[in-house]
Amino acid sequence: MSLATLERADGAPKQVRPAKPPPSPLLIGGVLGAVAATVVAGWAIDFSLAPVIEQWPMLTMILEEVVHPEWAEITDPSSRLWIAMKETAAIAVIATFVGSLIALGVALLGSKVSAPPAVFRVTKSVMSMIRSLPDMAYALVFVAVVTGPLPGILALTIFNIGIVAKLTAESIDAVDPGPLEALDAAGATRWQRARVAIVPAVLPNYASYVLYVFELNIRASVVLGAVGAGGVGQLIMLYFNRADYARLAAVVIVIFVVVIAIDLLSQFLRRRLV
Amino acid sequence: MSSATATTRPKPPPKWPYTVAGLALIGIVLVAGWSLDDAKWERLPQFPGEILQYAGQMLDGVLTWPGGHPEGQSDPDLTYGDWWLQALKLMGESVALAWIGTCVGALFSFPLAFLAASTTAPLVLRVPVRLFFNAIRAVPEILLAVIVMLPLFGLNPMAGAMAIGIHSIGSLGKLTLENIEAVDPRPVEAVTAAGATWWQRIRTAVIPQMMPETVAFWLYRFEVNIRASAILGVVSAGGIGALLNRVLRGREWEWGGIMLVVIIIVTILVDQLSAALRHRILHGAEATAVAA
Repeated sequence: MSLATLERADGAPKQVRPAKPPPSPLLIGGVLGAVAATVVAGWAIDFSLAPVIEQWPMLTMILEEVVHPEWAEITDPSSRLWIAMKETAAIAVIATFVGSLIALGVALLGSKVSAPPAVFRVTKSVMSMIRSLPDMAYALVFVAVVTGPLPGILALTIFNIGIVAKLTAESIDAVDPGPLEALDAAGATRWQRARVAIVPAVLPNYASYVLYVFELNIRASVVLGAVGAGGVGQLIMLYFNRADYARLAAVVIVIFVVVIAIDLLSQFLRRRLV
Repeated sequence: MSSATATTRPKPPPKWPYTVAGLALIGIVLVAGWSLDDAKWERLPQFPGEILQYAGQMLDGVLTWPGGHPEGQSDPDLTYGDWWLQALKLMGESVALAWIGTCVGALFSFPLAFLAASTTAPLVLRVPVRLFFNAIRAVPEILLAVIVMLPLFGLNPMAGAMAIGIHSIGSLGKLTLENIEAVDPRPVEAVTAAGATWWQRIRTAVIPQMMPETVAFWLYRFEVNIRASAILGVVSAGGIGALLNRVLRGREWEWGGIMLVVIIIVTILVDQLSAALRHRILHGAEATAVAA
C-alpha cells in the first residue's frame, strides 16, 4: 500500500503532491533585470514599429525594383560585380591564411599548457583587447594609410588572429596531459613539447576554426568595402548611394549564393575533421 | 641489432599528403595575391610606422586632461570631455540597439526553432523553417539594413536594431534547434507515455532542459551584435559607427582615439558581465562561487 493512500485515509490529500518550488530570487531578479534593460534600451533608440505601416509604400516601391534584378551583372563574368566578388574572395583567402598561421604561434603563447605563466597572462590580455575592437575599426584606421584591398586584408588578418588564437588556446588548455608528461619526463624542451605533443593534438580543432573564420571572412569582407577597404562592399555603398536597387539586388543574389555555397562546403569539411 | 629495432618500431605515417595539401594551399594564396592587381603591396612596409604614429596621436587624445581644448576645432568651447561624453552616449546607443536586436532575434527564433527541430516537428515543417534560417544567415546585416530597414525606419537606430534582429533570427534559430535536438529524450518519453499532448511535452520536458543553454546563446549573441552594430553605423543605421567612420576618415586621431578607447572599455565590460551571467546560468551557483 502506498504512502499516498495512507495519507488520503488521514484526510490530508493536499500533502501527497510535493509543493512546486517557488522561483528562485535570482531568476526573478534576472527576468526583472532583462525587462528593465529592454525598456531602457527601447527608450534609448526610440523604439517604434509605426514606420513599418507608414513607410510601407516606400518599401514596396524598393522591393518592386529588387525583384527585378539587373541580371546582366550576374551573367556577365567581366562585370563590376564579379570583379569585386573575386577581390572579396582573394582578400578572405589571404587574410585567413596569414591570420591563421600567426594565430597558431600566438595560441601557443596564450595557453598555460605551452607557455610560462607571465607570457600567457600577457598574451591573453593583449588578445582580449584586440578582439574587443570590431574589424571595421581596424579597417578604418588602415584605410587612412592606403585604400584598396590591402587595408581590408590587414584588418581581417588581425580579426582572425584574435578569434583563431583564442579558440586554439582553449583547445590547447584541454589537451590530453599524458603525452606532455611523457615528454617532460624525457627532458623535452618547450619547442619539442609544442611540436611533438601539442600541435598534432589540436590540429583537427585548429583546422575547423580556420574554416570557421574563412566563412566569417567572406561575410566580413563583403562589408569592409563599405569603408573603402576593397571588395564587394564598395559596390554596395555605390549602388545604395545611387539608389540603384536593381543592381543592389544582383549583388544580394550573388553574395547569398556564394555565402551559402561556402557554408555548406566548410560544414562538410569540418564534419570530416572533428 | 639494427634489424631488430627496424622491425619493432612502427613506420611513421607518410608525410607527403600534408606536403601536397600545404603546397596547394600556398598556391591558392599566391594566386589570390596575384589577382589583386591594385593591392599596392609595396605600401606594406609603411604600415607599422604610420599606424604607430596614428596610435601615438590617439594616445595623446586619450591621455589629455578632459577639461582641455583640442586644437584646430571650429568650436572654441569644445573640450576633450565633450568628446568623451559624446562617445559614451553613442556607444550606449550601440549597446541599446544591439540589445533590442537580440530581443527581436530571440523572440522570433525561439518558437520557430520548435518547428525546425527533428524531435518536435514533422519533416514538412522542418525543411522550410531550416531553409528560412539559413537564408537569413546568408544575407549580411548591412544589406538587410540598406534594402529593407533604412527605407522603412530612416537613418536612425531602429533601422540598425531591426537589421540586427532579423539577422539574429537565423543564427539563434539554428543554435536553438540544435539545443532542442540535444535534450535528454527520457523525460520526453516519460511524459509521452503519461499521455501528454505535443504542447505539454514541450512545456514540461523540452523547455526546462534546453532553456539554460538557449539563454546563454542569447547573451553570447548580444556580445556579437554589439560588434556588428559598428558596421551599421557606416550606413547611418544608428550607434557609434557613423561618427567613428567620419572622425577616422577625417584623420582626427585624438578624437578617434577617445572613441576607440570607449568602444574597447564598454565592449570588455559587457563581455565580462555576459560571460559571468552565462557561467552562472550554465553551471549553477556552486561552480560560480568556486570559479570566483
